Amino acid sequence: MSESTAAAPRRGLSLDVYAVTLALALALLVRLNLIPPIKW
Amino acid sequence: MATAVTTATLAPSSGLARRIVELIPGLLLLAAVGYAGKFIEQSIAAYTKSHRVTFPNIEYVLWAIVIGLIIANTTGIPRIFQPGVATYEFWLKAGIVLLGSRFLLGDVLHLGGISLLLVAFAITLSFTFMHFIGRAFKLKPKLTSLLAIGSSICGVSAIIAAKPAIDADDEDASYAIAAILALGAISLFTFPLIGHSLHLSDKAYGLWAGLAVDNTAEATAAGALYSDAAGKVAVLAKTSRNALIGFVVLGYALYWSSRGEARAIGNKAAFLWRKFPKFVLGFLLISLLATVGFFAKPQLASLANLSRWAFLLTFAGVGLRTSLRELGKQGWRPFVVGAIGEVFIALVTLGLVYGADHFLHL
Repeated sequence: MSESTAAAPRRGLSLDVYAVTLALALALLVRLNLIPPIKW
Repeated sequence: MATAVTTATLAPSSGLARRIVELIPGLLLLAAVGYAGKFIEQSIAAYTKSHRVTFPNIEYVLWAIVIGLIIANTTGIPRIFQPGVATYEFWLKAGIVLLGSRFLLGDVLHLGGISLLLVAFAITLSFTFMHFIGRAFKLKPKLTSLLAIGSSICGVSAIIAAKPAIDADDEDASYAIAAILALGAISLFTFPLIGHSLHLSDKAYGLWAGLAVDNTAEATAAGALYSDAAGKVAVLAKTSRNALIGFVVLGYALYWSSRGEARAIGNKAAFLWRKFPKFVLGFLLISLLATVGFFAKPQLASLANLSRWAFLLTFAGVGLRTSLRELGKQGWRPFVVGAIGEVFIALVTLGLVYGADHFLHL
């Protein structure tokens, strides 16, 4: 646990940015109808 | 020379490719556990419907968490799966951003504003209370600070953000994280039961779960265990709470540096920006786009479903990363202090939500 704690600040930041980037990219693909409708 | 240049150029991309390949087994495990939860929920619903049996609907969220817990605490997670399983928090954040599509910006501002108001009130009370019981149980002051930050703001991320800012020991951070994770696991099972026994509305319960359950993943799961609508509100309330992380950590950093026990903070605005959870901005952006009609109705449905799939991976990860043995090793005092603090915060926020429901008309 200490290891993840020590490594976390840098990872935490980039994790947020990557997650936002992926979500926005998916939203754009959906908006441009480049992926089929997603079912649940 | 040419070889050296080629190697230097290729090294980062081959490193990235290797890292992506390393994630695949764990990602498949997350998907398998999450989908097994969904399959069990659907199978039980189909069986009870065809046989006309009355049986309460148990959400896939609970099945996914329980399957994950069983695997993690019996066979354990083999090393090959660990990097992929650790991505559950990434899927949580991507899921929250996509969930923004299910909110009109006006609702975000209305419910988010109420959440911020209640959070500010609850934080002040809980910090005072946590420091009081921390002293009573003779915990180290910085461990008490970490527990107070973890239980009143947002669990593990807040502790991780605060640790370097207040120069806390690794051991203190580990204790605080273990206590918060153990309490989060308990709240997953107790909150929905309490909510149902008090007949809370989806909005009131969601707000309560978002304000009282510490870790974002557990708050999202505790909300979704109640109902889809409650899950949505829980995420919004928790996101508002997360947005305050920088201010609280800054307050603590200033306090400890004024006592000469942490480094001084230079540029406070830069500090706040560094600690601010960026996914909150992504959530607001998607909500704004949905509000101005950027997406057609079927596209909004697709985005909501993408968010559900991302949460499915998260809930599987919540169970898979909870090792009851590890949590038990951490000693009882931080756990007891955290538990007393949690019960206090849960009661205070429940009172606040009741008040808000009555006076502010959630």
